[in-house]
Amino acid sequence: MTIIKKIKENLFLVIVALAYIIMFIAKPVMGIESVKSSGYYIKEMLMIMPVIFVLTALLDMWVPKEKITQYLGKDAKAKGVFFSFLVGSISAGPVYAAFPMCVMLHKKGASIRNVVIILSSWAVIKIPMLINEAKFLGLKFMAIRWALTIIAIIIFSWITVKIIKDKDLPGEVLTQAGLHINRDACMGCTLCAKTYPEVFEMENKKALVKPNEALDMEKLGNAIKSCPVKAISYNEEKKL
Amino acid sequence: MDVFTLAIWVGTLIFLGISLAKDKVKTKQALKMALGMGKGMVVSILSIVFAIGLILTLLPPTEIAAFLSTQSALLATVGGALLGTITLVPAFIAFPLVGTLVNAGVSVVPSVAFLTTLTMVGIVTFPLERKAFGTKFTAIRNGLSFLFAIAIALVMGVMI
Repeated sequence: MTIIKKIKENLFLVIVALAYIIMFIAKPVMGIESVKSSGYYIKEMLMIMPVIFVLTALLDMWVPKEKITQYLGKDAKAKGVFFSFLVGSISAGPVYAAFPMCVMLHKKGASIRNVVIILSSWAVIKIPMLINEAKFLGLKFMAIRWALTIIAIIIFSWITVKIIKDKDLPGEVLTQAGLHINRDACMGCTLCAKTYPEVFEMENKKALVKPNEALDMEKLGNAIKSCPVKAISYNEEKKL
Repeated sequence: MDVFTLAIWVGTLIFLGISLAKDKVKTKQALKMALGMGKGMVVSILSIVFAIGLILTLLPPTEIAAFLSTQSALLATVGGALLGTITLVPAFIAFPLVGTLVNAGVSVVPSVAFLTTLTMVGIVTFPLERKAFGTKFTAIRNGLSFLFAIAIALVMGVMI
């Protein structure tokens, strides 16, 4: 059972590994070639990911929720759109580097629209890429494609908001009262169980809430903050 | 390392220094959190990286370019956009490649469709994006990006 579950959870990894095994048996030369071309991307990842993780955690720690909401929230309107484009354009690294950053920003109040803008502009309109494009395809080509891409992102981020609501994102299914752990997001780092062992425990490498009587709000707050994927949520029971 | 990556490193290190001077405990917690994030993503990222290596070998960009230049405009546009979603080519390969395509007389529309989906839509990053934002969000964002990539290509075809 657990093996099937593990495979399901890491399906993509399993597929990639199988593809490599088949490749190495059928065409070893191509297998070696694939590993070699992966090398560039490993370097690219190592150059940017550690710093992105640290930056995301630091911003999470120091920038108050109100600030993020003010600049990137629903009511930031044109200002929010502008700042989102700015964040995406001055970023570096592949698009997946934007994922942890955007998850953090969204948890702290950035609107879905602005998350879409940051992700998309992170992917396509980075300044070093524009310089490269102008060099090989001409300034006019680059400028027109750049302008069209910005217009396209503005339109489809607006469409996205019509379809996707905050509750569709994982970690936002937290409107019920009480203490919850999003077990899909939890990756078993054990920080919560270490911070507040009376309430959190580990089961099958995922955190679990123990039956509890009274909660120490300070310890709970620390545990919620310590979670790297923001999988813990606490909503006070609303008394009518 | 390009200037922007370097700037992020320098900026983050300064930020870290200030954070450390202001509050040691908070900084330690932040670093732990960063480590936790890294641990949570490392397997997914490695799968992405090796998948890209594999795809580049099976579908070399130069062969994609050769294929696009032989097809009719419509087929080349749709094909270019689709091929762009499965491959993820670094900019320093993609731009010179598309540059040669355009210079060789291939229509602008398929070239732009290919170029735009190359970076904006990712089949290989789909599992990781889904983990972070959920299936619905990921499907909608990538789907819309794909459609708009074709739209951008068509408008550019008219303008250039």
